[in-house]
Amino acid sequence: MIDFLQGKWLKHPLHPALVHVPTALWPAALVFDVLSRFGNGNNLFVQIAFYAILFGLLVALLAIPTGYADWTDIRREKPAWKLGLYHMGLNLTIWVLEAANLGLRRQGFQTEAMATPAQVGLSALAALLLIVSGYLGGRMIYAYGINVARLSKKKWREIAKEGGAAIPPEKGE
Amino acid sequence: MLKALLQGKPFGHPLHPALVHFPIGLLILSLLLDIAARLWTDQEGLYQAAFYTMAFGTVAGALAAIAGFADWTDIRRDHPAKKTATTHMLLNLTALALFGINLFLRSRQPGLAGTSLVYLGLSLAGVGIILVSGYLGGKMVYEDGIGAGRHRRHTPTPTETIRVSGRDAQEGWAPVYDAEAMKDGETLRVDYDGKIIAIAKQGGEVYAFQEFCTHRYGPLSEGKICDHQVECPWHRSRFDIRSGKVVEGPAKVDMKTYKVAIREGKIFIR
Repeated sequence: MIDFLQGKWLKHPLHPALVHVPTALWPAALVFDVLSRFGNGNNLFVQIAFYAILFGLLVALLAIPTGYADWTDIRREKPAWKLGLYHMGLNLTIWVLEAANLGLRRQGFQTEAMATPAQVGLSALAALLLIVSGYLGGRMIYAYGINVARLSKKKWREIAKEGGAAIPPEKGE
Repeated sequence: MLKALLQGKPFGHPLHPALVHFPIGLLILSLLLDIAARLWTDQEGLYQAAFYTMAFGTVAGALAAIAGFADWTDIRRDHPAKKTATTHMLLNLTALALFGINLFLRSRQPGLAGTSLVYLGLSLAGVGIILVSGYLGGKMVYEDGIGAGRHRRHTPTPTETIRVSGRDAQEGWAPVYDAEAMKDGETLRVDYDGKIIAIAKQGGEVYAFQEFCTHRYGPLSEGKICDHQVECPWHRSRFDIRSGKVVEGPAKVDMKTYKVAIREGKIFIR
């Protein structure tokens, strides 16, 4: 199960592929909310923001277990473990905020022309937290190498061996 | 420098992978809205929603393309990921062009938007290409470590592997490069009859050691050179470049070092 969630079958970690959707759509919902405030009385932007939040929530439901599976492989004494913990805490908070946000919109999303200040506020708060959390997630990859060469270490081991490098014994990974 | 900014170095996080969330997420949503509009009749609003979502996604995709190109220029010409990167770029440009056409056609018939299967077909093709291309982009990061640790390196990384052969060597000493042409903290990547060797200059001295980290075999010629140590860009293992000893894990096994001599201004290795 952990292997499946970590994306071994796809030869690509699943979590970073899934997070594109909520990461794009929740800040986009804020943009659409703001546009609705400046809009021409048309319901369109309120409707787009609703679908963006909804689709983001659904895909995030898949992103959460895959992210957790990746995190369980990081050793506790590593700096990335803590980053991962904050990243997870923030993301769970954001999910709840967006769920509340969707709840507020359930009634009027097909009729209202403008997002209410409470809705815009929730979108803005969630987007802000998401930028912080996404940055932490990116740092885990690009600054600490989480998931880098995890599924491809055999390939690189062969290349290193051919290149005459000293390499650890077979089971010493 | 503009390139460093486009590569996200000041943020310690590459820019391209942060920007690509937006085209990927928005263009997929746009397709779903199109499909939803077909499933429920009388949903003119959904077609319009698909149009705007696509417009935002395409603009964001164009921005991501600029940052992506800056990243592409720094991948070593003979790196296996260079081909993947070129394919990734061509696929994305194709998808952008398809969405551009898609938007243009839709904008000319706002009232009829979505009534033609051509629009849906264009969206399907565009999203299909993006999924393949996104997979390739992810492989570059997670399989080949492109972009990982790059911001810690302050000198340019090698643009290609220098090939030298034992046939040009005298008593095993092969000439590699002009010693003066190397700046402090700079590295070379050398293929000496199949042995892949990184060469670094520090404090006026030149050192040679194996290219591959002993942890997950990250490229040490792209690592940070500091205090007579090389730091692997992937997981920050550190090795002494004079002795090859591990200074800091996760690597546990010492790396190989090679002998270096400077003769008449040229670097020789053995």
